[in-house]
Amino acid sequence: MLPLAAVSGCDGPDVLAAPPSPAADVTVLREAIAAEQLMITRYTTVLHHAGAAGAAGGSAGSLAGALEPLLAEHRAHLAQLRSRLIVPAGSKARSATPHERAPAAVPAGVSAGVAFLRTAEQDAATAMLKRLRAAPSSLAQLFASIGASEATHVPVLNAAAARVAR
Amino acid sequence: MSGSVSSAPGTIQALQTALTAEHAAIYGYGVAGAYLTGSTQTAAAMNDWVAHQVARDHLETVLRSLGAQPAAAAVAYRLPAPVRNASEAVALAVVLEERIATAYLGLVALSNDSIRDYGALQVQASALRAAAWRGGTVAFPGMTSAALARSRKQP
Repeated sequence: MLPLAAVSGCDGPDVLAAPPSPAADVTVLREAIAAEQLMITRYTTVLHHAGAAGAAGGSAGSLAGALEPLLAEHRAHLAQLRSRLIVPAGSKARSATPHERAPAAVPAGVSAGVAFLRTAEQDAATAMLKRLRAAPSSLAQLFASIGASEATHVPVLNAAAARVAR
Repeated sequence: MSGSVSSAPGTIQALQTALTAEHAAIYGYGVAGAYLTGSTQTAAAMNDWVAHQVARDHLETVLRSLGAQPAAAAVAYRLPAPVRNASEAVALAVVLEERIATAYLGLVALSNDSIRDYGALQVQASALRAAAWRGGTVAFPGMTSAALARSRKQP
């Protein structure tokens, strides 16, 4: 049997040390996932508001027809991003930070809500471009594609805002 | 693009692929423009045609700065489908933009930051043009279904 000192004196990893910080690509991937979750919450909220307004005689059906395809694309983005996040076996999924859990500040009015989504989409597209540099090649391509998709949502929301304003 | 750009074969190849796609788009918009009707569609095709010429010129400049000979345009390109009317011309414009977006995603895969940024901005510009012609958006501009499946396996 080896003396205890010989065993404990090896240069292996310190099992009691704090876990290492996630790699930069994991950090930006988690950011992107959180951003998509937030966007989905925002769309759902605006659609809820539009539904309530529609019950009172508004044009909720028309607005839903414009927003729901965009929401579906955000759900596709989220699914694709989540599929790229590999959580090591035995580790717990990281809980959201307080910032990520904060409720989306979506205006209650339908018109203001659509305008809010338009700004959020533009910001999301810009943020996705900023994540490129910290990502490995294939993830950078996914970020670029998702950012481009979000940029295309802006003109759709501009048109929807014009219809709501009529 | 700014900063030091590598002249590694992979970089040159990706830039040449994007340039070849731009040559094809310029040719294709020339065909589409002949069949489009109405001032709005004609003006949009002209704007997009010019945008692709500007991008072509930029890519050629970058390639020359790296000591590479830019790929020359072909005299003619095989169209993905016959173009005989305005509807088919619009469909051609969509396909051209989808192919352009895919080509620029090749630049995004490179390690140089400025090339990545330029590629991503071009993917965005192409996606906006494609959405305008298509009259709708897609979730993953430029990403083929095969690329999406492959990217899930190779993070």
